[in-house]
Amino acid sequence: MVAIWTDPAIKPTIREMVSDFEQQNPDIKVKLTDLTWSHGHEKIVLAFASGRGPDVVELGSDWIAQFAENGQLTDISADIASDSAEYQGWSMANYNGRIMAYPWFLGTRVLFGNLDLMAKAGYDDTFVPVSWPQLLEASKKISALGPKYYGWGSNAPEKHRLYKKYLPFLWSAGGQILTDDGKLCVIASTYAIDGLTIYKMLHDSAGYVAKQRGIEDAFLDGKVGFIISGDWLLKRIEKENRKINLLSTLIPGPTLPGRSFKGGEFLAINAKSEKKEAAMKFVRFITSPEQQIKFCKANRSANPSSVKAQQDPYFASNDHIQTFIKQIRLAKHPPVDPDWVYMEGIIEQAVEDVVFNGEPVAESLRKARHEIEKQRK
Amino acid sequence: MGFSNKELLRADWQWVGLQNYVTLFKDEHFLSALGNTFVFVVGTVPITTILALGMALLVNRKFRGRGIFRAGYFFPSITSMVVIALIFQELYRRDGYVAMLATMIGLTPPEYGFLIDKSTALYSIMAMDIWMSVGYYMLIFLAGLKSIPDELYEAARMQGASFFHQLRYITIPILRPVALFIIVINSIKSFQVFVEIYVMTGGKSDTMSMVYFVYENGVTKAFQFGYASAAAIILFAIIGVFSIMQFSILKRREPIW
Repeated sequence: MVAIWTDPAIKPTIREMVSDFEQQNPDIKVKLTDLTWSHGHEKIVLAFASGRGPDVVELGSDWIAQFAENGQLTDISADIASDSAEYQGWSMANYNGRIMAYPWFLGTRVLFGNLDLMAKAGYDDTFVPVSWPQLLEASKKISALGPKYYGWGSNAPEKHRLYKKYLPFLWSAGGQILTDDGKLCVIASTYAIDGLTIYKMLHDSAGYVAKQRGIEDAFLDGKVGFIISGDWLLKRIEKENRKINLLSTLIPGPTLPGRSFKGGEFLAINAKSEKKEAAMKFVRFITSPEQQIKFCKANRSANPSSVKAQQDPYFASNDHIQTFIKQIRLAKHPPVDPDWVYMEGIIEQAVEDVVFNGEPVAESLRKARHEIEKQRK
Repeated sequence: MGFSNKELLRADWQWVGLQNYVTLFKDEHFLSALGNTFVFVVGTVPITTILALGMALLVNRKFRGRGIFRAGYFFPSITSMVVIALIFQELYRRDGYVAMLATMIGLTPPEYGFLIDKSTALYSIMAMDIWMSVGYYMLIFLAGLKSIPDELYEAARMQGASFFHQLRYITIPILRPVALFIIVINSIKSFQVFVEIYVMTGGKSDTMSMVYFVYENGVTKAFQFGYASAAAIILFAIIGVFSIMQFSILKRREPIW
């Protein structure tokens, strides 16, 4: 018996895959357990701490370093040598030169726009905002359409989300969170200041403020011109049969398309598992190109980790999915660092202080850098 | 545990003496959580108690439909806190009913909603807490009112005592033990405020409470069990001292029977 913990939202698809796997491997039984995104982290920690965790666990990319640092995950570097060119996303599972998890499906964020609102604001259908000044101007023009309209969906303070909206602006400006060697925090650089300044300008001049779900609601209701969101929005539009004239495009940068946020779902094997071989067999099965295509079609996921799966005609059939495929090539992920959970909170607080509490950008980022350095000592 | 550097995922740990406590009182997040918790307790407990007493006096009078009012006021207490918090989250939005109501009476609601603005977020949660718990305490006061013999009021009325005199010299002194119970229970509950904050703000917008601080440091973010336990011990000590103070102040004068 191999125990797998995964997100209940994708359970129907996973259950089918498990059934296929069990038919092909009658000597291995798989037990599926729900692991919600919102409480998954706590559940995994408690399971690992009790020494009775699952054999295979689905991990968000930003959780890998913390569990790897504490010796909870199996080093799979030796097992994946033959797969390394076949899959993308290894850098997010690379902790101190060791691969600690298998990339399953990746995720990024793109810029969505409402073409009808853009037309009302005087733009023809050839217009696509590729730079910050264009995005800012278009957002302002949409906001000027009337009190019910907003140009830009601006995230309210919300854990695990607000920072993901600022990081594309930081990276697009040329900034970084840590230096390449990971030794110094450089979140208060002039690039970082530029990124947060434009983020605040968008918020101040055209922002509709709500949590991520609220922003998406307002966007789908035709009230908001532009939002940054993930491929789940495509699934939602289809599921709720929303009529929206949708633009999807790359995240704008200072002058040209910029960098987006990249994350992903990974499958890791518990270091204490007694069925590592069977667990790895299951991981390889579920991440195979065929299963990934099946999964992506069922869940409207745009970014499988398998290079072969990415070449399936399904991904070329939809322009919006193509945007995600192009964007992920221009996306970065946060540092693979066990202290990332702290850093994330500190960056989020700095953005909140600037956007909602009126703190000066440079001062807030300097404070964040100081706190991150203090945490990492 | 509060005197150790135990982390949930690490097997090795050492005793660190008072280090966690020293660090806590230098940690601005902890100090903010401490301050917010005190504001929550001081803001909600007296208002809830006074409102509960007032409502108990009102629904104790005989009038048609009294049962409906009693049930109506008590209803929020039997509803799930999470459900109420989610409903209020909508009400407090920038375009929610509370903002509309504020605009109608000439006030300017916060630009981004009551739960996002730092100056209103905590008070908005406190208002919801009062609304939710006042019915429960009203019921306890009502039980106390029922135990007051009618003869006392009759005798007072015969001697010309007004409603306020009866309240001042009969009702309140006799209800003192009930009030003590309510204040102590409500204070303990308010010191432990967590669910509302978890659901409505996630500790953002300057609403971090002590229990949320313990949760965040012990479970969600850092798994620093030692550090979180030290914060929990401080909370325990504060609740203990507060309860003793309330007992000694409110029991100073025995009720008149």
